[in-house]
Amino acid sequence: MIPLSWYLIVSACLFCIGLYGVMARRNAVAMLMAVELTLNAVNINLIAFWRYNNPGEPIGVAWAIFVLTVAAAEAAVGLALIISIYRQRDSVVAEELDILKY
Amino acid sequence: MTNSIVLTLLMSLPLVGVVVILFLPVFNNQTDFNIKFVANATAIITLLFSIAILPLYDMGVPTLQLEDTGSWIDALGVTYHVGVDGLSILMILLTTFISAVAIGSSWNGIDKQVKQYYIFMLLLETGMLGVFLAQDLFLFYIFWEFTLVPMYFLIGIWGGKERVYASIKFFLYTMAGSLLMLIAILYVGIQAGTFNLPELIANRELYAGAQQWLFWGFAIAFAIKVPVFPFHSWLPDAHTQAPTAGSIVLAGVLLKMGTYGFMRFNLPMFPEASTNAAPIMATLAIIGIIYGAIVSFAQTDVKKLVAYSSISHLGFVMLGIFSLNEIGIQGAILQGVNHGLSTGALFFLVGVIYEQRHTREISEFGGLWRAMPVFAVTSLIVTLSSMGLPGLNGFVGEFSILLASTGSDALGDSPWIYTAFATSGVILAAIYLLKMYQGVFMGPLDNPKNQALRDMNRGELAIMLSFLLFIVWIGIAPSIWFASMDATVADLIQNVVMMAGG
Amino acid sequence: MEFQAPAINIAIILPVVIVAGFGLVLMILDMLMEDELRGLGPWISLGGLVLAGLQTIALWLGGSYETFIPVGGHPMVVVDGYAHFFNMLFIITGILAILMSMPYLIKADIDEKAEYYMLLMFSISGMMLMGMANDLLLIFIGLELLSIPLYVMCGIARPREASEESAMKYFLLGAFASGFLVFGLALLYGATGSTALPVVVENFTAGGVIAYTGLAMQLVGLAFKVGAVPFHMWTPDVYEGAPTAVTAFMSVGAKVGGFAAMIRILAEAVPQESAPIWTTAIAIIAAATLILGNVVAISQTNIKRMLAYSSIAHGGYILMAVAALPFSGDAVSASLTYMLTYMFTNLGAFAVIMMVEKSGNRGVLLEDYKGLSKRNLGMALILAYFMFSLIGMPLTGGFIGKFVVFQAAIDANLIWLTIIGVVTAAVSAYYYLRVVFYMFMFDGQGDLEFSPAMMTATTVALVATLAIGFFPGLWLNLARTASLASQLLMAGG
Repeated sequence: MIPLSWYLIVSACLFCIGLYGVMARRNAVAMLMAVELTLNAVNINLIAFWRYNNPGEPIGVAWAIFVLTVAAAEAAVGLALIISIYRQRDSVVAEELDILKY
Repeated sequence: MTNSIVLTLLMSLPLVGVVVILFLPVFNNQTDFNIKFVANATAIITLLFSIAILPLYDMGVPTLQLEDTGSWIDALGVTYHVGVDGLSILMILLTTFISAVAIGSSWNGIDKQVKQYYIFMLLLETGMLGVFLAQDLFLFYIFWEFTLVPMYFLIGIWGGKERVYASIKFFLYTMAGSLLMLIAILYVGIQAGTFNLPELIANRELYAGAQQWLFWGFAIAFAIKVPVFPFHSWLPDAHTQAPTAGSIVLAGVLLKMGTYGFMRFNLPMFPEASTNAAPIMATLAIIGIIYGAIVSFAQTDVKKLVAYSSISHLGFVMLGIFSLNEIGIQGAILQGVNHGLSTGALFFLVGVIYEQRHTREISEFGGLWRAMPVFAVTSLIVTLSSMGLPGLNGFVGEFSILLASTGSDALGDSPWIYTAFATSGVILAAIYLLKMYQGVFMGPLDNPKNQALRDMNRGELAIMLSFLLFIVWIGIAPSIWFASMDATVADLIQNVVMMAGG
Repeated sequence: MEFQAPAINIAIILPVVIVAGFGLVLMILDMLMEDELRGLGPWISLGGLVLAGLQTIALWLGGSYETFIPVGGHPMVVVDGYAHFFNMLFIITGILAILMSMPYLIKADIDEKAEYYMLLMFSISGMMLMGMANDLLLIFIGLELLSIPLYVMCGIARPREASEESAMKYFLLGAFASGFLVFGLALLYGATGSTALPVVVENFTAGGVIAYTGLAMQLVGLAFKVGAVPFHMWTPDVYEGAPTAVTAFMSVGAKVGGFAAMIRILAEAVPQESAPIWTTAIAIIAAATLILGNVVAISQTNIKRMLAYSSIAHGGYILMAVAALPFSGDAVSASLTYMLTYMFTNLGAFAVIMMVEKSGNRGVLLEDYKGLSKRNLGMALILAYFMFSLIGMPLTGGFIGKFVVFQAAIDANLIWLTIIGVVTAAVSAYYYLRVVFYMFMFDGQGDLEFSPAMMTATTVALVATLAIGFFPGLWLNLARTASLASQLLMAGG
């Protein structure tokens, strides 16, 4: 059987890709996608931990379902915001959102 | 221990005035007069009350008297505890006297936001009384910080051109220092489990291990307030920009809070550390004496000159305290009072002339002796008192301090070196003060603007005479003044020497 | 696998249920009702919060409870003094925020009335969950329930660009921080085999490096939420761009909510032997937060932005108490007291700011405060008092907060951190006083817009700040009884 650590490595990689995406991308939609990647990394972790450590208790799976739900809610709110901004400015590039500055 | 409410009553009297002023109507022509009247009456009643409780004070008792205690914040071990002893009795009288004078002197000078002005003045009086009366570290700290607020507004709203800068600088300097003191207070409180001063002094072994640090925590806060030499730079700005009454209170009382703090907290709580630090503090005091005198000499603005002279005079007080002997402390307390009277009077006089001419440059004046004879005579007496002429109050204080420093055990093998330098400060004081007096009053009356100056009016004269009364009284008959603090100071020194020795 | 319904004692979590339930009611009403009736939104939510508050008090008098126990597991929710304390904080924050929002939304031309209050209620219920959660999963849910409505609320002044932009920034960074948090929590779960805090603490040491990584990552996530340096960069932009009523609500609610979970996790889910590691980290973050927040605030010209940095700095003071957690028996009660005073002072200050503000996001510069004392002495004095409280001058609530926090830090032997704390407090005096001298020492024009609801909120905040300042004993005892029992054991007090 594949050891648990492999799953953790995959999940860590996925999380890092998400991290990189949020930091490096300038398009708000792409950043949102990167955030979703980090949440998926979490899900892989949760399911793997559940399967290997305590498959008797359903909490890991339940948690993963909650994460999915939250990710959906976040995506809904986020996309709504992005569309609203796009209608006004014809742009969703983070650097062009510059009314508020240090 | 029996509780006595007189001190609490004394502190609350100015607050009563504040409440009355708050409810005076705003929109009529009489209002300003009413507000001024209430404020003056409050200040005078407070002064009379502080004199009236003197018979209750027993000079022979070294410990706290007229104490009032009550529980306040049990959760933090904080109590309400006020009391008076030889260290503070003169400070109380000085506070009520200077406050009354300062409020009286503002009758003509303040023309905007009159209501706020008098509210802040009276709040300041309560705060200052609280500082001198509080016998619980937490309570003391509250009053100590509280005095900042009214003074900040007094300088900031009614001050001169650079008032905003001066008020912020004043606030930040003092606050930075007192926050370091807060750390020391908290540390002491945690170690000893109480903030009550007599208990803290009795159990000082509980925090004695850290006393070298704690000493400096308190010392820096007080040194900024005094101000001791490297921490003085806020003082000239604050003094020059403050309104006349603000300067009088600042010089008269607020600076004394610093020197009082050293005597009330540093010496009894950290005797060994105080003894160790004595040479350093005395050296700083000497630097302050000479530096203040030299810089004063270079000033062309009368008010700035007087402000810098404060640094020099307060140097004497510090030298007296850290001579760590009886006569030194007594001299320091009395010199504190003397400085309050002389410098307060000088600031008042500067205010009188500034109101008419709106300048304070020495070069603008000259020959005022002819135009304002009464003003000139009173100024001469005050100037002489400030430089320490025998027969006036300044001499008594400075002489005791110089005497104390020659015989001080705390200042190493050759304490006379300190005395020698300090004495040169006395000579310098004579030089810069006489230079000022000469520049303003002597010579030809050649500036046409000065020829029409009016002399002092009755109100101003009355205030001056009350200053002069004490200036001469302390000068001729100092023994009663010394007697008021004798017992407490002897007790304090005995404790310090015993603890530091053993 | 046989399914068994978990034991849920609804009565115990009734406050949260009420708040969330009223949120749902508002949501339905918003769809069904005529436009005129939507004006009832704030009153309905106020009613809900008052009900929840009464229920909290009743429960508080009754003691502490545990509920929602899954099969063979541990309670997911602990309703102890700590939870009650936070519930009250959030309910009061909510009530004051609603009072301030009613006139503010009209002034700012924001239409979505019922929607706004619905979001507010959901966010409050999320905050309440954060204080009660005894389970990693529930902490995650609470945090999301707190955050997602706030994203929308920041953008509710649509189509004002600043508002939309702040919502966007808050959303992207907030969602990102949630990712960190939940990844960290998942690792903790994996390393210890359970989501229940009592089990996590038992198996934490065995979890080794994964447990520590999880702890660190979830701390990063919470640090984002409370605006701790170096995870603070969203704060100024969001606070400035969001409608002021939302800024006020979020500067207190979101921050306190983050701390509620952070303190619970650090005190109950992390064993004593790991304390030296994480306290050092927290202490360093606290120091950085204090320095950056207070120093950068000096150069701000917009009062909302200035208060954003100020709120970062206040987070730093709370973090000081958090760093003292394992070493001082008073650390939890100190942080609770601090949050209590911060809540009233900050909300009060924002209430006055909203009265000065003009429609269209004007009137929020420091310049606009020139001469306020001549136009309205009373309001100027009240704002000055709040500023002095934020500095921490004696006889204000803020002083008591700082006092107990410094006390806890010294007790925990964090002298260096305390020194940074007091020095930065002195620095902070500079920018708070700037507001005061603009009001009192300059001339200027412009009027305040009063409204009964705003005045009520200001009065409540003022009276509370005064009460804490003058009679702190009662409040300190309240905070002390609310501290965590386990934390007291940890510190040996």
